[in-house]
Amino acid sequence: MTSDKSKSRLRRFGRYMKRNIVAYIVLTAAALFILIPFYVIFVTSFKTQLEAIGVPFTFIPREFTLDGYANVLLRDASGGAMGVSTVLLGFYNTFKTVIPMTIVCLFTSSLSAFAFAKLRFPCKKIMFTVLLASMMIPGIVTLMPAYLIYDSLMLTDTYVPLILPTMFGTATCVFFLRQFIMGIPDSLVEAAKMDGLGLFGIYFRIMLPLCLPALFAQGILVFMGGYNDYFGPLIYLWSPEKYTLQISLMYFVGLYDKDYATVMAGCVISMIPLIVLYLCFQKAFVQGIATSGMKL
Amino acid sequence: MNNRKEKLLGFLFAGIPVLGFLIFGIIPIFMAFGMSFMNIRGFSFEDASWTGFSNYSNLLFGEYAGRFWLSLLNSLIELLALPISLAIALVLSVFLHKKLRGSKFYRVVLFIPYVCSVVAVTTMWKWIYEEEFGILNQILMGLGIDKVGWISDSRFVRWSMLLTCVWSGISLGVILFSAALNNVSESYYEAAQIDGASGIKQFFTITVPAVSPTMFFLVVTGTIGYMQDFVRYQIMLGNSGGPSDSGLTMVFFLWQMAYRYNTQMGMGYACAMAILIAIIIGVATLINYLSAKRWVNYDF
Repeated sequence: MTSDKSKSRLRRFGRYMKRNIVAYIVLTAAALFILIPFYVIFVTSFKTQLEAIGVPFTFIPREFTLDGYANVLLRDASGGAMGVSTVLLGFYNTFKTVIPMTIVCLFTSSLSAFAFAKLRFPCKKIMFTVLLASMMIPGIVTLMPAYLIYDSLMLTDTYVPLILPTMFGTATCVFFLRQFIMGIPDSLVEAAKMDGLGLFGIYFRIMLPLCLPALFAQGILVFMGGYNDYFGPLIYLWSPEKYTLQISLMYFVGLYDKDYATVMAGCVISMIPLIVLYLCFQKAFVQGIATSGMKL
Repeated sequence: MNNRKEKLLGFLFAGIPVLGFLIFGIIPIFMAFGMSFMNIRGFSFEDASWTGFSNYSNLLFGEYAGRFWLSLLNSLIELLALPISLAIALVLSVFLHKKLRGSKFYRVVLFIPYVCSVVAVTTMWKWIYEEEFGILNQILMGLGIDKVGWISDSRFVRWSMLLTCVWSGISLGVILFSAALNNVSESYYEAAQIDGASGIKQFFTITVPAVSPTMFFLVVTGTIGYMQDFVRYQIMLGNSGGPSDSGLTMVFFLWQMAYRYNTQMGMGYACAMAILIAIIIGVATLINYLSAKRWVNYDF
């Protein structure tokens, strides 16, 4: 009786697999294409310096060691970190700058989105179009003049050029939040006005609490952008003690040129926070990005 | 609350990002345009002088023309990553949309490259491509094939870079296509099945038109992005632009003008290059918009 049941279940599973075999083959091939490079660096990071460059490549380390990670977490490779590990200092500098940038960006973007979604004011249409156009401007054009301006204001080799533009709010954030706020009924705003709440009151007491999920979704993306930024710090920072994570990682990689175990350990450590963040908040990540695929 | 106050505050609230764009976007663009007609040494206007169109003519036809056109070619080859990764992403999204057992796992895996920094990802690929000990050449040698200079032989560099771009580019496509497919009504497919349309026919007559607005968004923004890529190349190949400049993209060349060859070329050239890049991207975007009428379908 039970064997019959399991047999029929097995048969059903067989039919299911047969029907979807192409899908499974394609998806598995794609997943392997994505995962194998990750596995290669992951396994390299646990090898000894010698085994890392051994021939043939070992898919399971013969000798398991954390030397690479020790180098990443303990060595002051740039000499500018006053004994603190270069990469850890990079983490600190990144969080120190990117978190305030994200919070301010969310504040300004949501304030702007609130106005675009719920308020009537002159030039609304033009302003919105200008904001849309900002997404089409190749950022590279602004690089040289911006550099000269910051340089004449003595703001190069500071974090200001890296975070200030984003603090004014980004177009993507505004669009996303505007879409979200438009879904909040007008009657709520009207009722609040009746109760004598000012615009700031409406924004802080009604909009912000209702927007929290949307703010979180966009906040993650803004944070990710700052965390992964390499071009900005490359151009603007040159004091080792100011290096942000990506630039310190690059510096580190250059220093340990042929020590692949250490280099890969550095890469793994730098990627882990965002991968963990993603795995914990998949839904917010996907929502934040998916709605940005707007109709142009 | 009176109406005038609402108008003023609304204008101010909405205006913060617009102001930001004016300060950090529009003003620098006008400056870049002016600077592109100047000869600028170092990083200030102190010894700057007007040179008319000579920056442009030297780039387009003069002593730097060879590298300029090569950098355009390299960027265009990188742009191939866009159609390739979008095609792969669309097929994967269709399979994911079947909601098979385990599809959640595949979805999670396919998305991971999107959250990884270009520094880490490129360093990772650099190790894979490494000539002596990298896994790719080790596999080749295991199969009795001669090793290949993936990032040291000018014949291979562009294609190695293309592969890493495709690898990184699939994620975003999967996310956006999956979201688009969720919005397509099942009734289209049911009707097609009743009419006896094959799976492939359904793909081209329902799925592709249904996701075409998303495809359009990805093509427009992707073109703008890929034509400005540089970081990936600098990390993989160092400051030189790779063997025989095979990895010298347009922005890579621009960066070299401003920083590496500051004394010979300088910021004036870099700005002329930036304007040329903007024009090229503008033309590409225009082509995208003009072609959109033929293939983008907003009826679904």
